[in-house]
Amino acid sequence: MALRWLALAGLALAALGLAVVLGPAHVSLADLWTSEIVRNLRVPRALLGFVVGGSLAVAGAGLQALVRNPLADPFLLGLSGGAGLGAVGAIALHVGGPWALPLAAFAGALAAMALVFRLGLVGGAELDPRVLLLSGVAVGAFAGAVTTAIVSLSEAAQLRNAFLWLWGGLSGASWDTLLVLCIYVPVPLLVLFAAARPLDLLALGEEPARYLGADVTHVKRRVYLAASLLTAAAVAVSGVIGFVGLMVPHLCRGVWGHQHRLLLPASFLGGGVLLVLADTAARVAVAPHELPVGIVTALIGVPLFAVLLRRWATT
Amino acid sequence: MRRWAHRTHLAGRLLAAVALLGGCGRAADRRAPRPAGTVTVTDDAGRVVSLAGPARRVVSLAPSSTELLFALGAGAQVVGRTTWCKYPAAARAVPVVGDGLSPNIEAVAATRPDLVVLYRSPLNETAAAQFARIGIAAVLVKQDRLEDIARAARLLGTLTGHGAAADSVAERMGAALRATETTPGRAVRLAFLVWDNPPMVIGAGSYLDQLAALAGGVNVFHDLPAASATVSLETIATRDPDVIAFLEDSATSSAPAYATRREWQTVRAVRERHFLALPADLFGRPSPRAAEAVAELRRLLQRGSGKWR
Repeated sequence: MALRWLALAGLALAALGLAVVLGPAHVSLADLWTSEIVRNLRVPRALLGFVVGGSLAVAGAGLQALVRNPLADPFLLGLSGGAGLGAVGAIALHVGGPWALPLAAFAGALAAMALVFRLGLVGGAELDPRVLLLSGVAVGAFAGAVTTAIVSLSEAAQLRNAFLWLWGGLSGASWDTLLVLCIYVPVPLLVLFAAARPLDLLALGEEPARYLGADVTHVKRRVYLAASLLTAAAVAVSGVIGFVGLMVPHLCRGVWGHQHRLLLPASFLGGGVLLVLADTAARVAVAPHELPVGIVTALIGVPLFAVLLRRWATT
Repeated sequence: MRRWAHRTHLAGRLLAAVALLGGCGRAADRRAPRPAGTVTVTDDAGRVVSLAGPARRVVSLAPSSTELLFALGAGAQVVGRTTWCKYPAAARAVPVVGDGLSPNIEAVAATRPDLVVLYRSPLNETAAAQFARIGIAAVLVKQDRLEDIARAARLLGTLTGHGAAADSVAERMGAALRATETTPGRAVRLAFLVWDNPPMVIGAGSYLDQLAALAGGVNVFHDLPAASATVSLETIATRDPDVIAFLEDSATSSAPAYATRREWQTVRAVRERHFLALPADLFGRPSPRAAEAVAELRRLLQRGSGKWR
């Protein structure tokens, strides 16, 4: 077990190292610590990618346990739709300022989350997984429809560019964004880590979990809010990055098993590694062009997932 | 690069709709050249367009073709335009029939045009086929680069009965493109920034790259063959442009919002606030005023070259 953790930690360091050394601009190893590009672009971008990837993976693991559905990912519950509506709305209304887009996306994601949460209360049993999933999809579709309506009635150019931003990327990474995220992320992250034991019990079903002493209602509410807040923050700094939150928890379950006490920290490191590697590939593979990082996470993640799926099926 | 010029507001649309209702009766008595036999051309999508005589009622669904029609002296024949066709000022008096990208066939047909001018795109080819089904001739015009303008002028000139004017526009364009005035000193190195997050720049495929070269500047992303491309911030920092140019609707000289973001400070031109706002009206699309645009850009580059390096 210790060996696995060591391997994962080594992988994380290697990914971060690679992200700092590689880039479209040529920086020699000797200049690595004095280069403006490395200090102000690559290092904050690598660290931001790590925190975002880790947050998405932990949020995904938490939500998969909460709704007891392996298909759950951080964006299933309408957050991407809400964030998109926020960002597009900000551009259509000509809201200026360097932080307008991320803040509007964050607000949109939170509004979607609140709406889904409110709808989830309707079913009687609070946060019934089926009601939650359905209302998530419904709110996402509604936000998507409103977004498309705004796009078709408004400035074509800027909005198309807003969509590019929304499909994910860490271009906006800086020490400022990293600092904001590092102040914000630990709280929901710790809430999720603290819920590891009740999440294990929840996997048995709500009734059994209750008999075994878990405060099911509160755990579900805490996990839902924490995962959503993590995801909303990730959207604000990097747009919608798919596959990390869906796949990393499954990959980690294959190695670390189903205990959330191990699964959640492993997911954080694994998600960080995947996103940092994907972002490095996005920056370097077709330089001087840059790919949206969400495309690369899918290109790397899906084959990896297919290989592991085959291995699990045969063993 | 028409997208920069695209701006539409709901209120404007309502006003335009009212103007459209009022404009229908008035447009009939507009002067137009007498029919002079059948006119046949092959458009930029390879379709044969045939008219019984020069078109007398033209709907133009692209800002670039609207400007070109007015430049050819065919402005009085234009009976419909898009919300984005705002140049020349006289074009604003023409009723709006939509926003151009996916034309509202019925709104266009209601103006009873005998010719619809469309920007060449797959979506518009479908629209052209729709117009053909209801007996309205449509012409697809490609106007992406400076060398397209002369051909587009001849195409529209022939169809509207302004062939002579088209020839003179084409000649002027040819002369403007051939003119190779040398600028003293080192050429200003510029980057055209379309969008900041993710950073999108103009490559060699765009006419803006052509304008820069003709004005004695160097687009630092000339090696990218596409019209525009997403690049990473560190590539912009490494290419180290002297100035960052961008299109703006109102000719303000304010710095863009991203100028104060920390990650952008790695780019020298941003750090030193070397920005060049180009009026979208003149620079936003390839137009018969390209020579004027080149001269203006040359003037701006020469004025700035001292303080930008």
